[in-house]
Amino acid sequence: MKIRFGFIIGCAILNVCWSSACARQEMNLTDHPKGLHVAAEKQGSPLLYPFKFYRDYISNVDGDRCPMYPTCSQYCMDAIKKHGSLTGWIMCSDRLMRCGRDETKLSAPVWINGEQRNYDPVSNNDFWRQ
Amino acid sequence: MIIMRIRHICSGSRFIALVALFFLFIPFSKSFAGTKTPPDQNPSVIITPDKQFNYAESLFSNNDYSTAVMEFKRFIYFFPEDQRVERAMYQTGMSYYLGGDFKTAVDSFQKLIDEYVDTDDAIKSYFKISDAYMKLNALDPAIINLNNLIVVAHNEDVRDEAYYRLGWIYLETASWEEGRRYFSKISVKNKDKYRLETLSAELEKEKLIPKKNPKLAGFLSVIPGAGYFYCERYQDALIAFLINGALIYAAYESFDGGNPALGGLLTFVEVGFYAGNIYGAVTGAHKYNRKKTGLFLERLKDNVKINLSADVKNKGVCLSFQFGF
Repeated sequence: MKIRFGFIIGCAILNVCWSSACARQEMNLTDHPKGLHVAAEKQGSPLLYPFKFYRDYISNVDGDRCPMYPTCSQYCMDAIKKHGSLTGWIMCSDRLMRCGRDETKLSAPVWINGEQRNYDPVSNNDFWRQ
Repeated sequence: MIIMRIRHICSGSRFIALVALFFLFIPFSKSFAGTKTPPDQNPSVIITPDKQFNYAESLFSNNDYSTAVMEFKRFIYFFPEDQRVERAMYQTGMSYYLGGDFKTAVDSFQKLIDEYVDTDDAIKSYFKISDAYMKLNALDPAIINLNNLIVVAHNEDVRDEAYYRLGWIYLETASWEEGRRYFSKISVKNKDKYRLETLSAELEKEKLIPKKNPKLAGFLSVIPGAGYFYCERYQDALIAFLINGALIYAAYESFDGGNPALGGLLTFVEVGFYAGNIYGAVTGAHKYNRKKTGLFLERLKDNVKINLSADVKNKGVCLSFQFGF
């Protein structure tokens, strides 16, 4: 838990640093409503590399224990893709605080690989902003 | 030696008998074969409009919607003058709809509406288009479509059904006043049919739906966790308070202990969690309201909503309602 938590925090710091470096580029991209999301996909998502690294290498060894679906790392990636680094980081922090607690009683259960998880995608947490 | 000769003679005579039998049956077999009628070299089946339409209908009633679409289209292509072409077009749309292809169903019903104006199937197509849009979660086109129907329909019952459906679409979005406005447009003679008195009484309870104020939740989050607490998320509140408190304390200690680099780093992380605590509280309030409104709507639907069959010929509605205690 500590490793996961620390790593995600580290990833987020790197992300925010990267976002400030790429600020000018993002300003142009956000002219389009889905600019950042498309951009993140097209650019090979450098903002998301730390999360991908965590998910593909560390989480595989550490064990997939996140009780939510999508998992926290995936959720953070989705949030950053959809809303950009700053809001994505804030949503990511919010999710880390909610993970596995009250949300398990409030979100709909889903079965993933025979295990019960709680469905809490980004769209469940940004619907009021649309 | 004698025995061997006798055996040899016996086997030889058996062989001759078998050959004789073989030749004996050849003419018979030929004669039997000749009695068969020669196969028809050019088989042909005449498909009448009735046969084609009934075949398509049987596929439709057997839930084989993808094949039914093909057969209804074949009917329309080969028998364009038949009186059932409009019906076949409607059934094509229904096949798409029931097969779950709502987008194509809309196009199919729209094609019917473009060709036939103010017929029973055209009016039913309007209703099915709005149903398909609802399935696609596209409320605005569903509303526009029903408003178009109200404009073109001459029958008061049809207009009332459109008003009723519009009212429910607005209720789905928690636009209570808009919903009431459309229900009030239903003609006096149909008010009982749609149980409007009960509906408006139940709708009044909408004011009793428990709600949380998102702005207040955000404001309370100035104290980490208080916003979550307000939204009845007690565990989240405790965790938010502890994480934010620990990070703030750690940052303070770092600065105080002459380690500004670590202090700055911790402050940077804390800002994210502090903002996340506010964001989560506001979202929590919205989620709470959405859940409570959804529960109220479910109860309202179970208790007073009438399931409409969209069968204009049989005067519009099929009464089917229940009341939960």
